[in-house]
Amino acid sequence: MRRKRGLSDAQFAYLLLLPAVFLFGLVILYPVARNVYLSFQEKSITTGMAEHFAGLKHYGKIFTSDLRFRQALGNTVYFTVVSVAIEFILGLAFALLLDLSFRGRNFARASVILPWALPTAVMAMAWRWIYHDVYGVANDLLLRLGILKEAVAWLGQHPLAMHAAIFSDVWKTTSFMALMFLAGLQPIPQDLYAAASIDGAGIWGRFRHITLPLLRPVMVLALLFRSLQAFAVFDLIWVLTQGGPGGTTETLSVYLYSYTFRYLNLGYGAALSMAIFSLTLIIIFVILLFRKEEVELG
Amino acid sequence: MRRLWFAVGVALILVFGLVSLGATQEKVTIRWLFETDFGGGWKVLIEQFEKLHPNIDVEMQEGPSATNVREDMYATSLMAGEATYDMIYADLIWVPKFAAAQWIIPLGDRLSPHEIAQFLPGDIAGGMYQGKLYRIPSQSDAGMLYYRKDLLEQAGFEPPITWDELVEQAQKLQNPPDLWGFVWQGNQYEGLICDYLELLWGAGGELLDAEGKVVLDQGTAAVEALQFMYDVIHTYKISPPGVTTYQEEESRHVFHNGQAVFHRNWPYVWTLAQKEDSPIRSKVGITPMVHKKGFQSAATQGGWGWCISRFSKNPEAAWEWIKFDTSYESQKTLHFYNGYIPTRHALFADPDILKESPHYPDLWRVQINARTRPQHPQYAQISDILQRNIHAAITGTVKPEEAVKRAAAEIRELLGQ
Repeated sequence: MRRKRGLSDAQFAYLLLLPAVFLFGLVILYPVARNVYLSFQEKSITTGMAEHFAGLKHYGKIFTSDLRFRQALGNTVYFTVVSVAIEFILGLAFALLLDLSFRGRNFARASVILPWALPTAVMAMAWRWIYHDVYGVANDLLLRLGILKEAVAWLGQHPLAMHAAIFSDVWKTTSFMALMFLAGLQPIPQDLYAAASIDGAGIWGRFRHITLPLLRPVMVLALLFRSLQAFAVFDLIWVLTQGGPGGTTETLSVYLYSYTFRYLNLGYGAALSMAIFSLTLIIIFVILLFRKEEVELG
Repeated sequence: MRRLWFAVGVALILVFGLVSLGATQEKVTIRWLFETDFGGGWKVLIEQFEKLHPNIDVEMQEGPSATNVREDMYATSLMAGEATYDMIYADLIWVPKFAAAQWIIPLGDRLSPHEIAQFLPGDIAGGMYQGKLYRIPSQSDAGMLYYRKDLLEQAGFEPPITWDELVEQAQKLQNPPDLWGFVWQGNQYEGLICDYLELLWGAGGELLDAEGKVVLDQGTAAVEALQFMYDVIHTYKISPPGVTTYQEEESRHVFHNGQAVFHRNWPYVWTLAQKEDSPIRSKVGITPMVHKKGFQSAATQGGWGWCISRFSKNPEAAWEWIKFDTSYESQKTLHFYNGYIPTRHALFADPDILKESPHYPDLWRVQINARTRPQHPQYAQISDILQRNIHAAITGTVKPEEAVKRAAAEIRELLGQ
């Protein structure tokens, strides 16, 4: 009846999918295609927002003469490597601790997650005040403890500002790493540890030969998530320093934002975003290389 | 077939529902974005206006206090062609950029030359782009030096005129970290450029010449001004090291709490300093910004005014509000509540204002001699180049000579010179 008079089930299903496909095209495909197109155009405030074909000009500038891009790239790589490395180690330590059974474990697990649940902009605002040189808690604490002799402008000098930003990031996202690792620890059978003990493996041996290899897939995933997030860091830096002092905390995202939204140089901004996109692909590729070795039990 | 009609029917109901929802609203809402209404004056004005115009709702969105953050918020919305903001409450440096991008409409035809002449010339100049007026000034601003009258009098000092006098007095009077000599705006943002230009101009230097050519690195003024900024922090130690992270409010807090002798800021500080609970009430004086010996003082013109968005659906309602806000009485209200500096000459001689602010004749002289920053569509990028290099110098990563050389070269490259 239905088939004779109207649509088949398959046709009806396609019809229902249509809005989703349309939306996907509208919000993903079209902007990406438009961005690729714009990256070959000259479109900025100096052209009165009109478009002129520019060829590879923007890409040429990015990879040869754009010193600010190079500085931002250096800052971003430094931020990513240092913050993710620290978060990785601390996160692993937290996860191992929280995996032990002790009184109040659930409370401890919940409170570790708390920083991660805060919106970055909000926590960055709080950190901006913590780092304030006259009214900040950081100075007050360290002065009282006698660790500092005089107040320090944490966000006002190089290379302190970058490390202050990294510290805030570690404070916030270590819990994400811990959470991932904790989840990865759950399915590891206790029998394995028991068997290894009988065979004479110590704590380090059990960690090295059981925990690490079995945690590896989760580690790669956590590394991937955090590296991509850190590489694209914007909100934390924007709220804390806006790229200062003297551009030493400017990351690629902040740089891209300036070109596109502040200078209204849409052509160059599009090319920059393509360059950052390519770099991101490289990071994904490199991290996924770690996954290749097969995990063997026993 | 029934299913197809059902799907089409649902879609139509949704579309018409949304359209008619929009059409039934007769009352129009006009909106703009600004910082926190810390004096409460805007609230009063909006209430007065809505009583006069019952079918216009006026909405002020209270946003961040950092100027360039608000600029970006406006730009993001306008770039998308949105009608979120009917009016743009614009800093004068946004005007060339927004006008070049065709986001705002010319307003000059709506005012007679006689009406325009009522406003301060610098504020009108700050609203021009390519010979057309795009912005009606509502609030004027100029940089100046605040000092602690009580401390200077105790020590027998006259208010400083030159850089050297400021340093000498500050060093004698200060007692850090409880009392600093000199606080200003040293964060990497637009305010840093305002402070820097006053020093640059006050040493006889220029950023761009009349034809728009970069002349920053000609002569020694640019390096001297930057060296002075570096020295007050690191050599004379009259500014706290954290001054390189201060914007207006961070620096004002230090001065307002009685922890600084000298303070460079905009006029709004005066009103707040005179409030009942202010620790420095009636202990404050103002004087033009200090300059290098043998040169003249200069003030950076700031100020805010109204543009109308090209995407606004209610430009006439917006114009009604603009006329109301920039009127004599409204500016007076904003002056008393929020401490804003009026943009009309006549208000500087208003008896009520003079009674409460006897410094207004002096202020008027600062105001009419204030200078605008380069009115260039690419000013935001020029300013960023300066900000990065100046900030690198005052935080000690680059020598002042090198920073000036780099800044000039980068701006030349940007402008294709």
